[in-house]
Amino acid sequence: MPINLQDVTYVYNPKTPMEKKALKGVNLEIKEGSFTALVGRTGCGKSTLIQHLNALLSPTEGAVVIDSFHNDSNKKRRDKKTKDLRKNVGLVFQFPEYQLFEETIEKDVAFGPKNFGDTKEEALEKAHRALESVGLDESFYTRSPFEISGGEKRRVAIAGILAIKPKYLVVDEPTAGLDPSGAKDIMDLFKKVHEQGTTVILVTHDMDIVLSYCTDVIVLDHGKVALACKPQDLFGTEVEQYSLQTPQLYSFASKLESRGMALDHDAVKDVASLADEIIKRRNSR
Amino acid sequence: MNFALGKYVPYDTWVHRMDARAKLAATILFMVAVFFPMATWTMTLVAQGFLLLFVSFILASTKTRLRSILTSLKSLWVMVLFLLIIYVLVPKATNTLGVAWTWNGWTVYWDSFAEAARVIVRLVMMIMIAMALTSSTKPLDLTYALQWYLSPLKPLHFPVEEVAMTISIALRFIPTLLEDAMRVMRAQSSRGVDFAHGNLWKRITGLTSLIIPLFVSSFLRSEELANAMECRCYDPREKRTKYRKLHFRVSDIFLLLAMAVITAGIITISAMKIDFFALMGIVAL
Repeated sequence: MPINLQDVTYVYNPKTPMEKKALKGVNLEIKEGSFTALVGRTGCGKSTLIQHLNALLSPTEGAVVIDSFHNDSNKKRRDKKTKDLRKNVGLVFQFPEYQLFEETIEKDVAFGPKNFGDTKEEALEKAHRALESVGLDESFYTRSPFEISGGEKRRVAIAGILAIKPKYLVVDEPTAGLDPSGAKDIMDLFKKVHEQGTTVILVTHDMDIVLSYCTDVIVLDHGKVALACKPQDLFGTEVEQYSLQTPQLYSFASKLESRGMALDHDAVKDVASLADEIIKRRNSR
Repeated sequence: MNFALGKYVPYDTWVHRMDARAKLAATILFMVAVFFPMATWTMTLVAQGFLLLFVSFILASTKTRLRSILTSLKSLWVMVLFLLIIYVLVPKATNTLGVAWTWNGWTVYWDSFAEAARVIVRLVMMIMIAMALTSSTKPLDLTYALQWYLSPLKPLHFPVEEVAMTISIALRFIPTLLEDAMRVMRAQSSRGVDFAHGNLWKRITGLTSLIIPLFVSSFLRSEELANAMECRCYDPREKRTKYRKLHFRVSDIFLLLAMAVITAGIITISAMKIDFFALMGIVAL
């Protein structure tokens, strides 16, 4: 089932001088099995929106429906069992390395599964598999999460959510502050998770990532949905008005096209796929 | 979350516009007045009633919402219960209001209840005046005020500037730490921690998952701050200029005088054990 947001409005500090409307009637659908990017300028309501997806926030008006869970502004219609929802919707916050606290890495990763009712052995088993999927081997299991590097810490924190095996994975700027190769590793990890059947919702400012990894993109602007489409369709429009940037690869492909090379825009995702397309055109000529 | 106490709310009322030094002095005078005992219960009722009206007027002037006052007073009920039990259990010699009940030779006087009520009213007034002060004064202005009051101690080699800097840093970081705490709380809730429900052991482990990341991040922050201060050549012994200057105005002097008169009046009545009602009786005779 898709995730549905119906007329969601959220107000911070209502009825005080600090009152701030973060979301103003957001209507959108996130398809199951998609790799959806959530983009928009700083302060456009992205972080507020994702917190509605696992009921950390409840809408001031409107409703969020995730499977059978209703996160409704009306308290009577709002479901109370947030635990089941949070097991299904895993949320990785920005700079997740600040949430590590256990003595050993494996214990920290097993913390989530244990909270959701697994026994110690089951939780550790899940933790080991999650650590393996983020590329950390056995030598890390019993080390302290405070003595490893920043990039490794982030992977441990992400493993902490993956170990819960959520049906929907929401990640808030996972590549912030990482070097290019570290960022690529992390994104490839999410790609793998997506291929295994998890719906991934990604908040990012990096349009290259949107182009190469995502199947759908949602543009938020001033608390409203400005656009919901395929990444390739987004970059065909004036994206600067949402303070986004057209990926270099896309501009390059467009220039090739204007010089007379017919390319399949939907197939151009990264350098490799662009090269494939060019070769295909050459061979067909 | 309940942190109405100590949170500055940016309205523009006459209380907000007052000089921080005047407000600080007035608050201290008020607190002194609150704690002076009266000769009889009727006099106590009159004096405390008058002070309660006064502080209510001030607090109402700051536009503090009744709800936030009540929420900060809500945490007092444990105290109320505790006080009642103590006052009822501890036998009192004084008996002016009569016997409430006698049970197996154990007599409870109404005085015990009155005594408990008086302590509670005092506490409520203390909280109300503190709320009025903190909700209408920026923490930084309060620090400047404190620094101004401490400045006569400078020739005695009292580290006025350092103390003021320490306090202002501490105050400055209260909202930051709260924000950090909320962030870690949200992250751990996503990992299935329930901070509000569950058995004691679960709640304790839930709390460690909050406290340890908070400790780690505050140490990081303090180190960053120390570096930033050193980069700006901070030297506590150097003379510092201020961007914002505090200004005494006529209204400040007026309020200070009014507060001083009230406090002096209460002290006089208390010290001389004056009982207006007895006096009136004498006059009537």
